[in-house]
Amino acid sequence: MFRATAEQIAASGLSHRLQEVPWLVPASQSTHIVALSVLFASAMLINLRLLGVGIGGRTASQLAQTLVPWMWRALIVLLFTGALQTLIEPVRQFVTPIFWGKMVLVVLLALLTRWVARTLRDNAAQWDDAATRPAVARVFALVSTLGWVTVIAFGRFIGYVWSYYA
Amino acid sequence: MATPGILLALQDTTLAAFIRGDVPGGEWAFPIIETVHVLALATVYGTVAMVDLRMLGLVSREARVSKLTGELLPWTWTAFAIAVISGTLMYVSKSDTYWNNPQAQAKFICMALAGVNMFVYHFGVHRRVAEWDTALPPPFAARMAGGLSILLWTAIVFFGRWIGFTT
Repeated sequence: MFRATAEQIAASGLSHRLQEVPWLVPASQSTHIVALSVLFASAMLINLRLLGVGIGGRTASQLAQTLVPWMWRALIVLLFTGALQTLIEPVRQFVTPIFWGKMVLVVLLALLTRWVARTLRDNAAQWDDAATRPAVARVFALVSTLGWVTVIAFGRFIGYVWSYYA
Repeated sequence: MATPGILLALQDTTLAAFIRGDVPGGEWAFPIIETVHVLALATVYGTVAMVDLRMLGLVSREARVSKLTGELLPWTWTAFAIAVISGTLMYVSKSDTYWNNPQAQAKFICMALAGVNMFVYHFGVHRRVAEWDTALPPPFAARMAGGLSILLWTAIVFFGRWIGFTT
């Protein structure tokens, strides 16, 4: 089912035109890495603060207030460049199970981040103080860290494993 | 320029062959090391970009420059060390190829320039950071260093990814 859809996309005029631009995939992937760096570093700084790692600096709610909007901006760039790469090489993505695993994880992590960012904003005093911070904050920080690391690892591995499924 | 003998010798080691995937059990070594490299470079680029954009006076305007660098740079350096180790492991696996690759050469030139830029900033306007910690916009020299840094690091990412398409 996925393969048939992918082959239809690959045969479309738009995909063909994009496939003929040789620098498009490298440029899009590089932009993808720049955007994932902004998202990943932002997530890590907030998560480390919620885990109580690191010294001085801003509180978790201050970090989230500045960085979460940047995570959403980065996510838009990631979706755009990812969609472009999928349009150019749809079979490579659609036949690879970890591509779908990555997509599901991104949706879950985005929803989780939205929920935590709102909770953190509304309960800043409680979440910023290590003594009153609820356990769920630490659980979120661990899940988010592990989740984004897995998303990046899956993303890099698509390029190495897709030929096994093609 | 001919590839230095030491790089050719390193490329002939069992470790290099293992990373290339030429030794049984090493089939996944390169992708795993590359993934570690991506996680490390993402941390370097992300934290450097936050500092650069603050020095340009564009984001985190309410935070002191010295507070921001104190908070972020320990992570930058930790991740940079991991990126250097993982990068070196990938490099020695095919050092003859990478030594002669124009994109890899351009990447290292940009890294050297980013190093010079950081050195000039650190021993220049950063020595007087207490005087302009909250000044907006920050002094010209600080904005210059931040602007150059983000341009160079973006070029490093682009050249780095490009290596994979030309080797």
